[in-house]
Amino acid sequence: MSRNTEESLARSEARLAWLLVLPTLAILLSIALFPLLWTVWESLHLHDLRMPWRGRPFIGLANYAEALTDTRFWQAMGHTAAFTLVSVTVELGLGLALALVLHHRYRGRGLVRAAVLVPWAMPTVVAALVWRLMFESPVGIVNAVLTDLGVMREPLVWFTHPLAAWVPVILADVWKTTPFVAILLLAGLQTIDPTLYEAARIDGAGPWQQFCHITLPLLRPAFLVALIFRTLDAWRVFDLIYVLTGGGPGTATEPIALYAFGVMFSHLRFGFGAALSVLIFLVSFALALLYIRALGREGRGVA
Amino acid sequence: MLLLCTARIHPVFLLMLLLTACHSPSQDIVLTFSSSAVGAEAEVLQRQLARFMAAHQGIQVIQRVTPDAADQRRQLYVQWLNARAGEPDILQLDIIWTPEFAAAGWLLPLDSFAPPREAFFPMTIAANQWAGQLYALPWFVDVGMLYWRTDLLAGPPRTFDELMQLVTRARTDAALPFGFIWQGARYEGLVTVFLEYLGGFGGQIMDDRGRIVVDSPAAVRALTAMRDAIYRDGAVPPSVLTWQEEQVRFAFQNGQAVCMRNWPYAYRLLQDSAASLVAGKFSVALMPATADGSPTATLGGSQLAINAHTDHPQAAYQLIDYLTRPEQLVERARALGVYPPRPALYDGSLLAGVFPVPPDQVRHIIERAVPRPVTPVYAELSHILQIALHRALTRQQDPTAALADAARAMCALLERVDLSPQAGP
Repeated sequence: MSRNTEESLARSEARLAWLLVLPTLAILLSIALFPLLWTVWESLHLHDLRMPWRGRPFIGLANYAEALTDTRFWQAMGHTAAFTLVSVTVELGLGLALALVLHHRYRGRGLVRAAVLVPWAMPTVVAALVWRLMFESPVGIVNAVLTDLGVMREPLVWFTHPLAAWVPVILADVWKTTPFVAILLLAGLQTIDPTLYEAARIDGAGPWQQFCHITLPLLRPAFLVALIFRTLDAWRVFDLIYVLTGGGPGTATEPIALYAFGVMFSHLRFGFGAALSVLIFLVSFALALLYIRALGREGRGVA
Repeated sequence: MLLLCTARIHPVFLLMLLLTACHSPSQDIVLTFSSSAVGAEAEVLQRQLARFMAAHQGIQVIQRVTPDAADQRRQLYVQWLNARAGEPDILQLDIIWTPEFAAAGWLLPLDSFAPPREAFFPMTIAANQWAGQLYALPWFVDVGMLYWRTDLLAGPPRTFDELMQLVTRARTDAALPFGFIWQGARYEGLVTVFLEYLGGFGGQIMDDRGRIVVDSPAAVRALTAMRDAIYRDGAVPPSVLTWQEEQVRFAFQNGQAVCMRNWPYAYRLLQDSAASLVAGKFSVALMPATADGSPTATLGGSQLAINAHTDHPQAAYQLIDYLTRPEQLVERARALGVYPPRPALYDGSLLAGVFPVPPDQVRHIIERAVPRPVTPVYAELSHILQIALHRALTRQQDPTAALADAARAMCALLERVDLSPQAGP
């Protein structure tokens, strides 16, 4: 085959490839990039549905300036960061333990694996309602059990205490998403070559040494994937808290997504709400970049 | 080829469409109507809509079901109306939404239909106006009231101190879990309860000139009294800080409380001896007051308005006009116990025996009811206040600081939207 025909073949193949990818690209642009750019554009305008007579003037970065000097914004950011840190840490720890258990060979493993996924499969709103019922009333199951056990002398009104209100929120999130983390880590565990453990045993390594020197290092890529997914998800937490506490008492459990939602759909301030959304996006994006860089370095390290 | 085909078929198709349109009998106008429709309320409404359709051949009314929770319904409306949807044609609005929706250009002004404004309570008309035009007609009036147990108290308490004393004693004697219960969750209901305490202590949210006075000493005293009732007197359970209307009603209905603050809708439900343990054992009164203020009822209620983008404004108004006529309002009142917005209906015997107190007393309560600020930014004003109240009541802030924060944020809001009293609307 001459070089010429080879080149033209390659070129036509490339053309075909682009042609085939084009619909996907168009869809991606229209559903991912366009709304994003629209939101950025919106965030540079004063757009208040309650006052159409003020028009929709361009106001530069004024919405951002307002957000960054707004104490409620910073409180909400703080709540979201704390929620993300605590819930993701617990989820990864429990998820790892669960994955190790599921990885073991025993009778009925398939059944247990399916059962573990049930909380993850349940709609968040339904799960949140169940958790609220358990915590809400003075005769609810949590108060009843804790007072019966003597942990508390009298029932606690969980949702009226700025710190106690976080307990059902974190518990519900951990309950719901630990299975997801466990499944991701289980997949990671299954890629580890069993001969490595065999070799380690022959060299006289105990289970703990095997765990620290084989399992953990080789599980790191899967760990990072779980970390990225969970962090970005937790950072945008909305439905769970909307149903459980509504952000209360006061604004003590209000995450940033709930604040942005209220600004847009309750106060009808679309420009300011868009600015808040862009800020949420920027933080998520920065977190993703950070993790991807860490993941990349990890990949090189393993290679 | 494909293009050619369509080009050839297209005009023929159009012609056919035109012909069928000309030959068929006049097409029915279809109105969509969004309102709350559960239980007895749905039954009454269906009867009334059926009568309306029988009397107006050619108009068909379809109900568009929306969530019963006010906040959720409002969010749905906002999404529809902001998208300029022509449906629903007729909307049931909470009294505090009218100025906001009217200012946004989402509602049709009703003035051109010559509505009988003077037939309704003046305050309910004022609350439905924006920039001098009327945008909705009142459907029923809500007023916040004190429900009290006639088997536990000799009479309704007149002052807040008396309320605390009577409730505490009766609660101990009857071994009830709760004394006095009200809507304390962080939502609009909390503001309506606060407004009643506020009036009782002689305070206001906004003064007559539109200035924010929610941080006045009277307001601090009112909020302190609400807080003390929970933590000092123990008459109000801390659980109320997560309760809305229905949780409060259930507790009272199950005989767990001496007094409750609620709207008129609760009366019919509490009288139903099949479900209620307090049927025949309660009455209603105005909320108590101090010597500095007067007994206050917050004005609430539902309105009917027309979507600005409706295709059938005339038919839509006919329906609103029909539903707000005296006969329909009386039927609603008899079936649901809700208060009609026409003062004339309270004369004579039309409504005798329908309410827990004689009709002329109900009219008296409505006439003295206090409206919430009429402004397109009410939702945001209220939200600021809800947060401050809830922070103070959950002991995250003391009442003085919470109300000072609220007043500052409310002033900043009015200034930002050019609605502060200096600038005027």
